[in-house]
Amino acid sequence: MIEESSRFEPFQDEPLRVTSDEGAWIASFDLDLDEAELQTLYRELKRARKLDERLGVLQRSGKSSFVAPSSGHEGIQVAIAKSVQAGRDWLFPYYRDYGVVSALGVPLEEIIGQMTGTLADPAGARQMPSHPSSGPLNVFTALSPIASHVPPAAGSGLAQKLAGKGDVTICSFGDGATSEGDWHAAMNFAGVQGAPVVFVCENNRYAISVGLEKQSGSATIAEKARAYGMPGYQVDGMDVLASLYLLRELVERARAGFGPALVDASVYRYGPHSSADDDSIYRPAEEVAAWRARDPLPRYRRFLEQRGSWSDAQEAALDAAIEEELDVAVRRAEAAGVPELGAMFEDVYERVPWHLEEQREEMER
Amino acid sequence: MPVMNLVQAVSYTLASEMARDEAVVVLGEDVGKRGGVFLATEGLYDQFGPDRVIDTPLSEAGIIGAALGMSVHGMRPVAEIQFAEYVFHGFDQLVSQVAKLRYRSAGQFTAPLVVRMPAGGGVKGGHHHSQNPETHFVHTAGLHVVYPSTPSDTVGMLRSAIRSNDPVVLFEPKRLYRAVKEDVPEDPDHIVPVGRAAVRREGDDVVLVSYGGSMAETLQAADALAEQDVASTVIDLRSLMPWDRDTVLEHAARVGRVVLVSESPHTAGFMSEVAATISEQVLDHLLAPPTRVSGADTPYPYAQDRAYLPGPRRILHAVQRVLEY
Ligand SMILES: Cc1ncc(C[n+]2csc(CCOP(=O)(O)OP(=O)(O)O)c2C)c(N)n1
Repeated sequence: MIEESSRFEPFQDEPLRVTSDEGAWIASFDLDLDEAELQTLYRELKRARKLDERLGVLQRSGKSSFVAPSSGHEGIQVAIAKSVQAGRDWLFPYYRDYGVVSALGVPLEEIIGQMTGTLADPAGARQMPSHPSSGPLNVFTALSPIASHVPPAAGSGLAQKLAGKGDVTICSFGDGATSEGDWHAAMNFAGVQGAPVVFVCENNRYAISVGLEKQSGSATIAEKARAYGMPGYQVDGMDVLASLYLLRELVERARAGFGPALVDASVYRYGPHSSADDDSIYRPAEEVAAWRARDPLPRYRRFLEQRGSWSDAQEAALDAAIEEELDVAVRRAEAAGVPELGAMFEDVYERVPWHLEEQREEMER
Repeated sequence: MPVMNLVQAVSYTLASEMARDEAVVVLGEDVGKRGGVFLATEGLYDQFGPDRVIDTPLSEAGIIGAALGMSVHGMRPVAEIQFAEYVFHGFDQLVSQVAKLRYRSAGQFTAPLVVRMPAGGGVKGGHHHSQNPETHFVHTAGLHVVYPSTPSDTVGMLRSAIRSNDPVVLFEPKRLYRAVKEDVPEDPDHIVPVGRAAVRREGDDVVLVSYGGSMAETLQAADALAEQDVASTVIDLRSLMPWDRDTVLEHAARVGRVVLVSESPHTAGFMSEVAATISEQVLDHLLAPPTRVSGADTPYPYAQDRAYLPGPRRILHAVQRVLEY
């Protein structure tokens, strides 16, 4: 059994960081990840970024009807995926979490199939783009209504607690989600039950156009945790190592029976809210530029380079490998074909009832 | 007269009513500087400022509940729900609080507010950006429910809704937001009363009844019928609660053949009520059973986005059935 919290104190004034903007290690403890693992983190950051860029291209070329860009969120997203055991623990992501699912191991062809409405999507292209899922990897199907996945995440944690095997749930959402009643209901439920759930707010300071100061009466999201009887942490979500160290500790804490925690990860979305948005109406270009200067990818690359753990040649090889992987995934997703008309009547219930049979016939006539 | 599309008609009417009456305020997600995700409140923030055009936290229960609390102070809030399906986070406020306030307080308190929401499919929006949840609200005593389909009607009905002393739920057919432009009445007191249908064209062979987004496909079907020398009467219900029973019955009785088109789910949809009423009231005049063409009883699918909607092909099939009956 681990001690209740060790390295990190909740409710600090400043977000936790372990690397500087320049990529220097600045933590008070020693780095204990090996080079292979450190490099894997970079690969996943880059994969997430390139996936997001490719999804944008697919949307602009008309192959996908919508995309919610994830660039800028990769640090916390990769950390979420790498803090759990894939296939054992459960994830309740939201629509922007491409970096979570790709780093967890959901095949890119499935993700791209979901984005482009083909049968490569394990969910049969039932939902609009940006709603990933994976049955085998315990990734609960994302849903559009904001925060509606947070109470089920609390229930998932309760089931895990009752099963007593030490499995945990991570639930992620944006800052806007913390305004919904569902969010508060879930936090309180998990707090009362001591459910092993790590709640992660990917706080990019905007809910579409609405800034954080109009969203939250409290100065931080982290401090809301206090009211629900769980620890709250601020972390620099663009510092992948800070995010990973914190989440691993909170996941292990939850596994050991110490209950839920809330993480307020500060990030920025570089793109518009979605392909349907024009962010220039509500945020100044200088602000976007300032956050771009703190991009989690070059920052982490500098960290690796300073350790002598990354070279230009490795960068070029990685870029080429990811592009190739994406090309193959796009081809496979397309080759999977699109669902037939009649497929819309399946899975409403376990068996197709008479009235849906009739409606299918009428529609196919 | 000014020329505009349906979504411009919304902002135009809001501006006109806000200029007329200080009690009118707009609240919702992204309605301020962003002007709403569909631009239905474009320009209002600059014209009326943050006290009257309120960007709210992301909570539909908060939006509708707060609108109610403001309305009992004599204000006339117009709440925007960003997409109709997100009203379910505020469902309890709307059906338990807002709808029943006049009744449960015996008129001591009333809720003269409007909840506007874009609804309907055909935009590749999947489950949660395509639905037509109007029947839930028709089933909730105390709410008026309206669903205009043209820019002019949007002006007249939104204005009626704002001036109504009862709460009004106003659905906007988002697939028609930018479909057509037309002249809209300039008179700042022009209203279309709640409860009045519009007869879009008259013919003696068949009556087509629809509302909201499906009016577009219904009129296309009527055009196709005209080419085959089948003359149709087309009725746009516009209001669902209360609905214009007399207009529908008059034409149903005169023509005897009725097809009812709605993109919301088939079973227990609003057109079931219309069909039942026609059967009860004018059965002797009917030459064929009132026949519905509807959306499917499935969640709104992504891949089969257009197929879900009752398009001209399915409407014409139904017309053929009632003509050959
Ligand atoms: C219940 C509900 N209301 C409104 C919306 C429309 N909407 C989609 S995303 C969004 C903003 C969400 O912001 P946030 O939670 O901060 O996450 P972000 O998109 O910034 O990552 C809104 C208002 C929705 N999807 N669900």
